[in-house]
Amino acid sequence: MTNALAIEVLNLHRSFGDTKAVQGAKFDVQQGEIFSLLGPNGAGKTTTISMLSCLLRPDEGDARVMGHSIKDNQMGVKSVLGVVPQEIALYEDLTARENLTFWGKMYGLRGGALKKRVNEVLDVIGLRDRAKERVSKYSGGMKRRVNIGVALLHKPKVIYMDEPTVGIDPQSRRNILDSVVALKDQGMTVLYTTHYMEEAQELSNHIAIMDHGKMIASGTHDELVKLVGGQTRIDLTLNIESGTVLETWKTVEGVSQVSAENGLVTVLVEDSNHSLPLLFESATSRSARITSVDILEPNLEAVFLHLTGRALRD
Amino acid sequence: MKALDIALKDMLRSFRSFFAIIFMFVVPLLVTGMFYFMFGNIAEGGDFTLPHTKVIVANLDEGGPKFRVNPKNIPDGKKADTMGELIVNIMESEEMSDFIELSFAPDPELARGSVDNQESQVAIIIPANFSKEFADVYGEATIEFYQDPTLTIGPDIIRAIMNRFMDGMSGVKIVIKVFLEDAPPEEYIFTGQVVQDYLSVSLAEADDVEDELLDVRPPTGQQKSDEEESENMLLSIISPIMGGMMIFYAFFTGASTAQSILKEEEERTLPRLFTTPTSQMTILSGKLLAVFLTVSVQVIVLLIAARLIFSIQWGSFSSIIIMALGIILCASSFGVFLNSFLKDSKQGGVLFGGVLTVTGMLGMISIFAINSPAAAKLGNSVSLLVPQGWAVRALTQSMNADPLSDLLTTTLILLIWSVVFFVIGVRRFNKRFA
Repeated sequence: MTNALAIEVLNLHRSFGDTKAVQGAKFDVQQGEIFSLLGPNGAGKTTTISMLSCLLRPDEGDARVMGHSIKDNQMGVKSVLGVVPQEIALYEDLTARENLTFWGKMYGLRGGALKKRVNEVLDVIGLRDRAKERVSKYSGGMKRRVNIGVALLHKPKVIYMDEPTVGIDPQSRRNILDSVVALKDQGMTVLYTTHYMEEAQELSNHIAIMDHGKMIASGTHDELVKLVGGQTRIDLTLNIESGTVLETWKTVEGVSQVSAENGLVTVLVEDSNHSLPLLFESATSRSARITSVDILEPNLEAVFLHLTGRALRD
Repeated sequence: MKALDIALKDMLRSFRSFFAIIFMFVVPLLVTGMFYFMFGNIAEGGDFTLPHTKVIVANLDEGGPKFRVNPKNIPDGKKADTMGELIVNIMESEEMSDFIELSFAPDPELARGSVDNQESQVAIIIPANFSKEFADVYGEATIEFYQDPTLTIGPDIIRAIMNRFMDGMSGVKIVIKVFLEDAPPEEYIFTGQVVQDYLSVSLAEADDVEDELLDVRPPTGQQKSDEEESENMLLSIISPIMGGMMIFYAFFTGASTAQSILKEEEERTLPRLFTTPTSQMTILSGKLLAVFLTVSVQVIVLLIAARLIFSIQWGSFSSIIIMALGIILCASSFGVFLNSFLKDSKQGGVLFGGVLTVTGMLGMISIFAINSPAAAKLGNSVSLLVPQGWAVRALTQSMNADPLSDLLTTTLILLIWSVVFFVIGVRRFNKRFA
């Protein structure tokens, strides 16, 4: 990893009507690292990626991709960039090879170099033997792989991957996560957006957490976890509506935060050994019974809960 | 180069679509083929026979002042002592027997009843005073034409023949009237001679009624054999139909191909294209080039296929090039123009079902009204309100071997339409993706 900046985001703002989609996004991505933008749906991740891809013009601020301004040198930005959009953006009535060949041409590849690169990418995404089939006949996972393959054709220095694992089977997801790591190993810089905490945790050198269009924290995984002060997260379910118990638990000694969603109550505590018996006792006093308990070491989910008062899964 | 890559990719997608192929090539040829088989028999060496129209005549004409038309001026050399007989003789002539099956009724009611019962398709009732009224300079000689309203082509041909005959007869009356007004009384004895001369000329001119009605003008203008004449009659019917179908569906193809801009936006491939180092202008140019090339392929294939399958003469090579270019440019730009007003491809149904169908039908009024001169005249004016009408005009001018200057003028107007559509369409799309 080098210390040079691949992406430098300088106070980006973008609104759609009255909705402020991105408010002052600011972060740096080092060359050769995987940088994750983590946040729930609607946090502003895709809008940020769209501005960095020159698809949307920022209302305010600027960003530099490999030194090219997204405002002043869009062609420069696009030439060093590979974009894997959130949706499958392929021509379903063309074969995988035809798709890759066409997109390769759009990135300026021609002749023998194009043919060679298409074959290489087909090997990378593991679809060479099915390259002559139309994309419409592929499974969701295979389409995702071609979707990623398109962004690799011109060997970009920077790749944006916008939630590439949404809606696919675990095996394909694993393949994609492995390929992201492989890209990093090849020296590419990856800007990865996700709302899956585990993905960000597994892949990233640096993580920025977004919520409601704002960057609420950024740093390495360890730096972010430190924000919750080593607190432990306990997920519990109750046999009754959690409403009254929730209020009581907020007053239990050692509990710093309590939230509930879809019957699952999440509690952040200083020391689970100390607080857990108190939580049981408090529930019993409210005629409630705890039906399951899951104790989790501090993680990004806990960080998000700590910072926003809401679970990341929202 | 990238624009061409985009265009070729779009064309590949278009021509891989089963429905696109059907609508671009098969349907126009199929519709024309239906007419071809309806009016001719390709399997029997191309001999053309019109469908027989069953005509029943009630000739009640009691005659008027004595006159006799020289038999040499009546088809088959028959004689006629009354105007009614003259009409019957013409209808019984050999050349008419190709498409008329004649029968007679003793009175009007039976003739009309025959049509009502669908035993005949047309009843011609010649009143008792027909010759008398005709002979009276100020009289009004009329024939009753009673037809099955559900039929058009056969009765229309018979009606056209009768109209032609009656027009000729009106000419005779005018001649007599003018002669009597100007000639001194002592020359009134020459009236019969004047009428005779006029009839000689007018009937001789109308010698080949069938050919007059189904006139075909091949570019060569050479002497035609009977077989060629039959073939030309068939061509005169199907050529404008094929041309009309080609124009109708070329405009559909223009709109359909231009819709790929909206579809790509929805499929998210267009935004992805915008993330590649390809300028917006190049991308849009590629999309527009795709529309132009796709319509070009369609028009060229249809022109060639129609020439090979139906032997349609589109005109001289230079006329065809000019006409085709005008049609292709206008159909392409009209498609871009219309699509630029759509929010998404789902609104395409309105575009295809409404705007294109209505403008297409308006543009082809002159083709559909070909058997009705009055309607055709009105149609020619109305059709020029829409670009398809100008395209039809260019096509007709090329087929009729009209002066090149006429065709160039029409093509110039098509180009003006095209430029207006193109500029508006492109500006709207540019604004949309800015």
